[in-house]
Amino acid sequence: MSLLEMREVSSGYGTMRVIHGLNFTIDPGERIGLVGLNGHGKTTLISTIVGMTGWQDGSIEFMGQQIGGRRSHGVGRNTPKIVRSGIAIAPQGDAIFPGLTVEENLASGAYTEGAWKTRKQRRDAILEVFPPLRTRLKQSAGTLSGGERRMVSVGRALMADAKLYLVDEPSLGLAPKISIGLVDALCKIDLGDGAMLIAEQNLPLLSGRCDRILGMHAGELKEDVGEAFGDIPPAAEM
Amino acid sequence: MIELIASGLVLASMYGLVAVGISLTWSSVGMLNLAQGFVFTAGGYVAFLFAQYMAKNFSIRDGVLLSLGVVLLGMIGSAIAGLVVGGLAFLPLHDRLNFPVRGLIATLAISIIGTQIFMLIFGPQSKPLPQIFGIKRFRIGEFSIAYGQVGTIVVATVVLLVVTLWMRRSRRGLQMRAMMMNPLGANMVGVSVRTTGMIALAISGALAGLASVLLGQIFFVSPTSGVQPLIVGLIISLAGGLGSMPGTVLAAVLLGFAEAVTARYTQQSFVPFVQFALVIAILTFRPRGLGGVLEDVRE
Repeated sequence: MSLLEMREVSSGYGTMRVIHGLNFTIDPGERIGLVGLNGHGKTTLISTIVGMTGWQDGSIEFMGQQIGGRRSHGVGRNTPKIVRSGIAIAPQGDAIFPGLTVEENLASGAYTEGAWKTRKQRRDAILEVFPPLRTRLKQSAGTLSGGERRMVSVGRALMADAKLYLVDEPSLGLAPKISIGLVDALCKIDLGDGAMLIAEQNLPLLSGRCDRILGMHAGELKEDVGEAFGDIPPAAEM
Repeated sequence: MIELIASGLVLASMYGLVAVGISLTWSSVGMLNLAQGFVFTAGGYVAFLFAQYMAKNFSIRDGVLLSLGVVLLGMIGSAIAGLVVGGLAFLPLHDRLNFPVRGLIATLAISIIGTQIFMLIFGPQSKPLPQIFGIKRFRIGEFSIAYGQVGTIVVATVVLLVVTLWMRRSRRGLQMRAMMMNPLGANMVGVSVRTTGMIALAISGALAGLASVLLGQIFFVSPTSGVQPLIVGLIISLAGGLGSMPGTVLAAVLLGFAEAVTARYTQQSFVPFVQFALVIAILTFRPRGLGGVLEDVRE
């Protein structure tokens, strides 16, 4: 059985339709790259899975449970429930808790009751992945640098007791060296029977490291990644 | 001197309880709860009904159990009133456009209607609460302090400490603080804004209920007895800095002493002037309030 199965999913904001009748599955153990240019629906696809778009339509089954359906109001109202059922998000642009310490930020990722009890072990595992955070644990997250904030944001998602991790643009606004390190860390994590979806504008950052790379163009998925970039060549090889 | 300190701290305790409640609601729910006065009065009346019931049916008019019951029922009554406010003003409105203004209007309406309902049920006469700490006085040299004053200070301090610890240590507390910092981010780690908001309203209510019972030791409960605590609580939570417990408590102590000193050396009618002047002074020099951690965080 696939972990996540989307059938004929459309979504958008107000009168605007961003995702057009998408069919898409994620299998256990998969690490999927989702590439495409700005404004072609990568973030909206992630938001749709967790119910944070203005409206949506179509079936989304997660581990056999329906989490999608037709909805035109209550933006984000189902999100906590979906997240607690096992989908962790590292949103675009962080959404960390600036007044809380790094440690508390990470702990908040282990919010579900099962994960909360093992939050110390989980935190230690995250610190293995992101060693720079080790010395910052007691520091308020609002005072961190951009790269460290992103580590907190991604680390918070990894703290969760989840089956599916959705990471939105981990490299956004970061220096190339730092974003390579971050994506490296993400690709090293052992997923077990879980899965990870990484949305990214920078194709070379992901190529060769994911099990599957999908292109996103104008709200539709393209198996041929080149098509997602149209006439514009993908960012230079690094 | 000791009497002055005692009365200053008593006022600070009561203002602190109400202000921490308002501050908690304001920073986590994002709603300025003008119905906190109604919530405050509700606890007083529930405690009064309980005391009346015990006196009528069991002839119990004092004792530890009655005191405990009065305090607990006051808190529960106000917590439920807080949930009612949440059900009417928060749940239906929080994801609508312009919630802060709509919430303000809705809570103002609840406050006005609530006062009239109390007036209809209980009449305009004030109702007394039993003296939960007894009527004896401590003697220290030539000074004396009532048990009630000491009890008020101790109970308020303990309860505020417990709430602070709970906020800092527990999972639910973290959930609340996460929501204060970034409601959207909280949503994405699985914290339900609706559930958390209702918890915040219930806790704020319970704190107001405790303050109501404690104030009932000095003044009787009347339909409008929540107005003064609401106003003072509002300006204290503003001066203390939204969402900051230490800042709010510090502001409560400052305003409590300002009231005690003013009332003693001039006259009671000057108290509001002094309080507002003090708050304006604080906000002039620290626009985010004394504790001010939140202003730049919550939109």
